[in-house]
This record gives sequence, C-alpha cells and structure tokens, in this order.
Amino acid sequence: MIIKKMINYIYGYVRIVVEGYYIERFINICRNRNYMMWNIKKSNDIQLALNVEIKNFKEICKIAKKTQCKVKIKAKRGLPFFLNRYKKRKIFALFLILIFLVIFSSSHFVWNIEIIEENGLEIENIMEDIQEAGLTIGKSKNDINAKEIINKVRLERDDIAWMGIELKGTNAIVRLVKAEKKPEIVNEDEYCNIISNKNGVITKINAQDGTANVKVGDTVSVGDVLINGWMEGKYTGIRYVHAKGEIEAKVWYTEHKTIEYTTTERRHTGNSENHFGIKINNFEINFSKGVSKFKFYDTIEIENKIRLFSNLYLPISVIKTTYQEYEEEKKIYSVEEAKNLGIQQIEEELERKIENKENIVNKNINTYEHENSIDVYVTYEVLENIGTNEKIVF
Amino acid sequence: MKKNRMRKLNKLLEIPEEVYSDVPKISLIGFDEMIIENYKGILEYEEFFIRISTYKGLISINGYNLNLETMTNDDIRVTGKIESFDFERITD
Repeated sequence: MIIKKMINYIYGYVRIVVEGYYIERFINICRNRNYMMWNIKKSNDIQLALNVEIKNFKEICKIAKKTQCKVKIKAKRGLPFFLNRYKKRKIFALFLILIFLVIFSSSHFVWNIEIIEENGLEIENIMEDIQEAGLTIGKSKNDINAKEIINKVRLERDDIAWMGIELKGTNAIVRLVKAEKKPEIVNEDEYCNIISNKNGVITKINAQDGTANVKVGDTVSVGDVLINGWMEGKYTGIRYVHAKGEIEAKVWYTEHKTIEYTTTERRHTGNSENHFGIKINNFEINFSKGVSKFKFYDTIEIENKIRLFSNLYLPISVIKTTYQEYEEEKKIYSVEEAKNLGIQQIEEELERKIENKENIVNKNINTYEHENSIDVYVTYEVLENIGTNEKIVF
Repeated sequence: MKKNRMRKLNKLLEIPEEVYSDVPKISLIGFDEMIIENYKGILEYEEFFIRISTYKGLISINGYNLNLETMTNDDIRVTGKIESFDFERITD
C-alpha cells in the first residue's frame, strides 16, 4: 500500500469534486476506461470527491461533461506540482546541482587525518612524519599509496611497531602501535653482573649466583656493581657466572617547592562567551566582531570539522572560541598554611611517581622560612628492589 | 463441453475459482471493510447505500459513512460502518 501511495505521489494526483445527478454513470464510465480512482466519498447527495491521476484528468473532465457533471479541483498533490512550484527558481536548482557536484568531487580527497595510538601511548611528531611521507590533507585518495607511506614512516622512525592506514570516506585513519623500548635481555647462559639503576642505601642483599660487591648499609649510586658475575673458590679459581640475586635498597624521592605567602589566585566566575567562525583551509571568517568584553579571560579554541556522515569530512571547519571570565583574587597565607599547602602538593606529586605505596618507610619534611616565601622539601624513603643485568665484556 | 474440461483442469491445479471465472469473491474484514472482487459496476452510490452489480447478481450494502476506498478494474474496497448487506440473484 505504501508503495502504491509513493508511486501515486511521484506521478502526481488531483482530488476533484464532481457535482451532478448521474454520478454512478460517471464512475462506471471511468472504470470501464481503466482509470485509477481511489478514496471515493460522497459528501452529500450530488457531490462526490475522489482522487484521480493527473494523466487521466482531461479525459475525466470530458466524461463529466458527457454525464452533465461539474468538476472542481480540490487539491493538487504529488511531485509534478511540487517541482512546478520551483520551476522558476533556476538559480536555486543550479546551486543545488553545484553543491552536489562539490560534495561529490570533494569526497575524492582526504580532508582529515585521524591518528589512533594503541594503548593511548603518544608518539611525538608523528603527524609531521606522516605528512612528509605523503599523506597530507587535500590529497586525492587515488594518489595515496598506503604501503609506500607506511614503509617511509617506518624507515624514518624506530619507535613504531605497527602502522596501518585506512581510508574511510574523506577520513584517513592512521593506527599506530608504539614499540616499547625493552631492557637489554641477557641470556641465561651469558655472564653478567648486576648493577644498580637507582641511588640508595642497601638494606638487604642476597646473592644466589655471584659474589656480593656491597654490604648492607652501603650507599650506592647508579651504575655501581652490586653483584659481581664471578665466584671464587678455594681450588677452582675465578669462575664466571650469570649473576642472580635480590637486592633491596632504601631509595629517596625528594621534591621541592617554594610557596609565596601572597599569591594571586584565578577563580572562574562561570561567565563565558562564545564566538563562532568558519575556516576554509587557511581562510578564516569570524561571525562576531571584536574581542571579549571581559577584563580577564581564558581563551579556549575548538576546531570542529564539518562532516556529512560519520566519515565524510568536508574541508570546512567551524571554530568555536570560548572566553571564560576569571577573577584575580589575592590570597595571603600564614606560615602554617603555606607549609601545609606545599606539603600537600608535593605529596600528591610524589605519590603519583611511586608505584608501591605500601613500601614507603619514612617521610621527611623540611621547611626553610624566608621573608616572603617558604621552601618546602619532602623526602620519601621507599624500599625497592633495584638492579639490572649488565653483560660482562672481557 | 470445452468450458467443462477447463474447469476440471483448473480444479486439478487448485486454482481459485474467482481467478478463472466471473464468480465474485466477497471478503468482509471486521464490520468496517468489504472487498468485492470480480464486480461489474456501480449502480448506486450514496453515503448510506451502495449497490454493486456483479456477474452473478446484485449486492446492496447498507450502512453509514460508506467510502469507495480503492477501485481497480476488478476489485473494489468499501469502507465505513456496514450494517447489512443482501444479494439479488440473477435467475436465468
């Protein structure tokens, strides 16, 4: 039924009112000639409303005349009437065609490069390298040779484990997997020492293979040998081994901060102003003039590329500039307050750095007061396993 | 004789009768819709009364708000509140 209605709509139909005394005859003649009629309704004794196709309308008028009926058009519906209304608007049609052409032709180019890094690890300067290798915004999709670009980029850089280019609509999606720099693996059957990779004081040393080089309580710095990769026997002499062992050391993490007693603090008032603009390539059009009316404000600029569908980007972007008002507030801290603030900030920072918080043994806080500021030093003592393998080179 | 043979063949192939003959098929959907296949023409049409002629006789429908929803060459759909309908057989 819907299909029938749609076909009727495409071809167009008129709703007419036939008035006369021989309406049944009129209907039968129309039916004999195979004219489509639907939604026939008698509104009163001599009036009949019905829908007919427009191609039959003239003939129906003739039949009506023959049966001494009057025909009145009540409504014209369908595509032909709709188009007829726009017949005179030639420029409108021209631009409609033009827009379609522009969209069609612009869909052959890459308008957006999206970089997806696996596991959220960021790779620096990858955008420049990709563009240098040949994947640039505005390039025809046919000219992009994904394999060649991947090879070029991978030759250039050594921190990419895998790279893939996917062209979707006008969007080029580059997927990257960052290669992790692995510590040098020393084979089990090769001779090695264990050296320190952190500064600290040894609290426990347990050499399973090899000879301990340091004692408990010794201070070691980065690069010091902790366990030597050889053993000395009474009769066998020096024998080289693959050093193995556990070394636990106290490691210090220190952070320092200077807190001034009088500080100006920014506080957002919550007022904001939006300005919009359009950017086509490097050409910018701003809709609103001038700068913000606020005295102090932060400027946040967001650029959004216009896209038709999920992956069909256009070379036009909308720029939204948000001005957020803030107030400057002078704050005066007392010595105690400044100290606490400093300690709190440093502790947060340190706790982000240290992986195992349960191994924190000690906290040390030192403060040095000055005329208008205070220096805060916080030191954490952490027990950690230290030591990495280093090959013995003869 | 020939008609009879065709009839037998059609019965064998289980073709519905209204397809190969002029016999009207009347289907009633609820009390509000009536579809008549194989009709000849409309004799009378008022809002409360419709008379349709078929090859076997006349059908008259009583009711109110009667519409002829769709009319094609061989079927007609009547909608509206149908109250009663009756047939007038053509006797030959």
